[in-house]
Amino acid sequence: MTWTFRLAPAIALAAALLGGTADAQTIKIGVNEPLTGAFAASGTYVVNGAKIAADEINAKGGILGKKIELVIEDNKSNPTEAAAVAEKLITSDKVPVLMGAWGSSLTLAVMPKLMEYEVPMVVETSSSGKITTTGNPYVFRISPPSAIEAAAFKGIVDKLELKKVDFLIINNDWGRGTAEDFSKMMKEKGITVGVVETMDQGAQDMSAQLSKLKGTDSETIIVTTAVDQLTLIFKQAAALGLKKRIITTGGSQNPDQIIAQAGAAANGTMHLTTFLPWFPDKTPNPEATNYFIAEWKKRGFDFAGCTESFRGYDGIRTVAAAIEKAGKAEPAAIKAAMWDINIKGLNGDIVFRKSGPAGKESGQSQPNVYLIEITDGKIGMKTL
Amino acid sequence: MSEFLQHLINMLVLGGTYALLGIGLTLIFGIMNVVNFTHGVLYTFGAYIMFIVVHQLGVNFFLALPLAVVAGWLLGAAIELILLRPLRGSDIDTTMLVMIGAWIAMQSGALWIWGGVAKSVTTPFPEAPLVLGPVSVSWLRLFVLAAAAMLIVVTYLLINRTKLGCAMRATFQDHDTASLMGVNVDMIYTSTFAIGSSLAAAAGALLGPVYVIFPQMGDLAAVKAFAIVILGGLGNITGAVIGGFILALAEELGAGYVSSGYRDAMGFLIIIAVLIFKPTGLFARSERVG
Amino acid sequence: MRTVVAILTVVAFASVPLWLRDPYLMNALITTGIFIIGAMSLNLLLGFTGQLSLGHIAFFGIGAYVSALTSLGFDAGLPFGFRIVHEPWPPIIGFVLAIVVAGLCGYLVGLLSFRVRGAYFVIVTISFAEVVRLVALNWVELTQGPLALTNIPSITIGMPGLGDLTLRTKLQNYYLVLAVAVIAYVLISRLVHSHFGRAMRGLMENETLAVSVGIDVTKTLTLAAVISAGIAGAAGSLYAHYIRIIDPEVFAFINTVTMVIMVITGGKGSLAGPVVGGMIFGLLPVFLRPVMAPEAQWIAYGGVLIVILFVLPRGIVPSLAQRFAKRRSRVEAVAPVAFVKRDAKEHA
Repeated sequence: MTWTFRLAPAIALAAALLGGTADAQTIKIGVNEPLTGAFAASGTYVVNGAKIAADEINAKGGILGKKIELVIEDNKSNPTEAAAVAEKLITSDKVPVLMGAWGSSLTLAVMPKLMEYEVPMVVETSSSGKITTTGNPYVFRISPPSAIEAAAFKGIVDKLELKKVDFLIINNDWGRGTAEDFSKMMKEKGITVGVVETMDQGAQDMSAQLSKLKGTDSETIIVTTAVDQLTLIFKQAAALGLKKRIITTGGSQNPDQIIAQAGAAANGTMHLTTFLPWFPDKTPNPEATNYFIAEWKKRGFDFAGCTESFRGYDGIRTVAAAIEKAGKAEPAAIKAAMWDINIKGLNGDIVFRKSGPAGKESGQSQPNVYLIEITDGKIGMKTL
Repeated sequence: MSEFLQHLINMLVLGGTYALLGIGLTLIFGIMNVVNFTHGVLYTFGAYIMFIVVHQLGVNFFLALPLAVVAGWLLGAAIELILLRPLRGSDIDTTMLVMIGAWIAMQSGALWIWGGVAKSVTTPFPEAPLVLGPVSVSWLRLFVLAAAAMLIVVTYLLINRTKLGCAMRATFQDHDTASLMGVNVDMIYTSTFAIGSSLAAAAGALLGPVYVIFPQMGDLAAVKAFAIVILGGLGNITGAVIGGFILALAEELGAGYVSSGYRDAMGFLIIIAVLIFKPTGLFARSERVG
Repeated sequence: MRTVVAILTVVAFASVPLWLRDPYLMNALITTGIFIIGAMSLNLLLGFTGQLSLGHIAFFGIGAYVSALTSLGFDAGLPFGFRIVHEPWPPIIGFVLAIVVAGLCGYLVGLLSFRVRGAYFVIVTISFAEVVRLVALNWVELTQGPLALTNIPSITIGMPGLGDLTLRTKLQNYYLVLAVAVIAYVLISRLVHSHFGRAMRGLMENETLAVSVGIDVTKTLTLAAVISAGIAGAAGSLYAHYIRIIDPEVFAFINTVTMVIMVITGGKGSLAGPVVGGMIFGLLPVFLRPVMAPEAQWIAYGGVLIVILFVLPRGIVPSLAQRFAKRRSRVEAVAPVAFVKRDAKEHA
């Protein structure tokens, strides 16, 4: 049992060292992302985007006369770790504000910690409706939940002449939320909703689901999942001779990666997305978009990652704007200032509106949603 | 009806894949009594070798396949020599945990080296599928099925028609007696692990181009492989092949006619059912219980 | 001697909050403690009956879900038009129900799986855990599936004359986990040293002999499975009320692996083994975090695991205890013989 006794002072020592390295000359921002585990690729993209924003801000002299410093921690794609990481960032690194945590279950696990320590967090990717409706006033989300996406899509469906749709969704909060919100919207529009098929996160063979969808009388399939499964779905649908219209949602499609990996199978597919790196001039903030893309390429990253990494870039810029507005790097002031910011993000104005139960509302920004189409291996904007 | 036919075709293609995944593991499990958690990593490794050889070295697709098999053989032999040979005589829990340690470390190594973004391998096969009346299937998957069948036959002949195979079977029956009869058991173990690993790498090399390649791709493959091995009985190649097709059929029909959410549950429910009624798997040879 | 060490250890653990103020490390200790309770329950099966369960997280997760649903309430449809509507109950009842329901599941799995041994038992337990995970994922009406159960209340304990005490802070939760861990430890320890414990070990060492002297195999193994599952369910309940959100990821295979690592490196069949192994592998990631890249942390984790097994193949506690005993009296070293025999038998 002597092990435990020897460990104990080591813990105290480690804590002292961690606390001691704090540099008062910088403003710290905690970044809680999955860098290993199932979501490693996406989390790494977001972190790389965040670093671009931090470097850009520091090159212009920082905020409040100080440089900003990102404290980046890996939540291992695991909710327990995400909560532990939030605890570490807040209590050991003393960050006044966080950005995170990519997946919805990761973000939901962090949320009680925000309440406990009264520290605000900008949510950059998660889409679960629960994040902004359960009454956590420390949450400020810049990504669209599926209800907002469905509302944006509502204006487009007439022109697409949808009659009957099936769903093929990833079996998690994101896919389930999309199926629910889009079905509701479709029904209001008088469109028939057929079957809802699910696939496990990480499943590689969707032939069984696609064979079933091939046999239904719907003309369109709404697909919600991340880029890897989308690639597989397009390839496998082509192999099965499935010739229905496919529309994907969620904005994590990386269309360039799909074109590179699925080839001709991607032709004719449509994608609802929130960021247009292919047409910087059509984005709400062309100057920032051009800067971001140039910087992204300069650092040698895959262009395909832009559609994910821009969230990290926007997230850090949101945090920085709130700190600037607050005039001091303290959690309560930053939280209050979040409500007053208005910055031009890469996918629309970032302005937080109240969402959730009265008195403890969370903040939700309303990004733009675009429909793009892949034809002959090229991405085109669907003009509607 | 055409949907049902399509499910059957899918089953055939998927079942061949599963059988290939299962045979390597069943050899190691049966002969060495090692719960091999590195099987999935070897699968991943084979797929990445394919990617590197085809895309970074520019070698022909068909030449890359045997290279991946050889690389898997070498890595398997190395794992056996470094991690398993020193632990000979330890119980099954200890070797299993060492394999778990190797799995965690090697998978993270793959993430470190190649990053988490999925890679894809271009193949020389046409993208347009082969259409047979109401059903269709891609050429690449037909090739994979044929290659898998060939590998399975070669392995079967290796075990049943060669001197090495004879020694492996003797070791499986009773390694003490085999050792007394002059079989070099250490060599047999290394060979078994290397062969099993090269089959896993072959499966990865064949399926990597069908799917996409990423560091965690082996986890799901390993779970399926374990299921197939149990269905077929430890150390039984024919059993693993049939187990692979049963699992594929259950998944196809489960997803097509029950619920896609429970697709993966089908295999596990079959395993539980099989083990309740026939605790040594469907086609077990004399496996000792206890 | 043994009791003195045990009491000193408990006192040492109890004193931790007095000098450790860092909430992050307290949090790490609490989650580690919860997993150690799970590992102790796994040890009862693995270490004392020799049955390796790779689906132990199923009982942990069932406990977490039962406890969370009891305290949150639910409204779920059943086949044939029935519905169960449940109003929220206090979490402490959830805690008790978690133990009961997990124990019942342990009974069922025990009945099923003790027909099979060795590698087949390993796979049955993996399959069981996967099926439970898929039910939790797909029965959305009851479990909310991947949408996760959120806002799970903290545990409230009724104190006579003092009103209710809600355990919200780290300090309170630390002592709660410590208390449950001590109770579980004492329970397992008494069980192992009872007549029943001797029956279990008899079975593990030599089943034929055990049966011939009148040990009821199925009953013994099933009872061990029930108690083991019940304790795992208690740990799951603590987890749900501490983390306050659960989703089907709680059933992740890596969580089972964590528990198995804790038991085997610490020393299966040794009461203190899971505690020692648990402290090492629960806190190792905390120490690795500041010193290396995220991927490298996992490589180091796997590496440390392999090194421990190479140096101390029977686990830390038994190996050290044996060396300690050897040094004391080199003549009386009889014990290892029994182990050699058993290893040979298992390998045959």
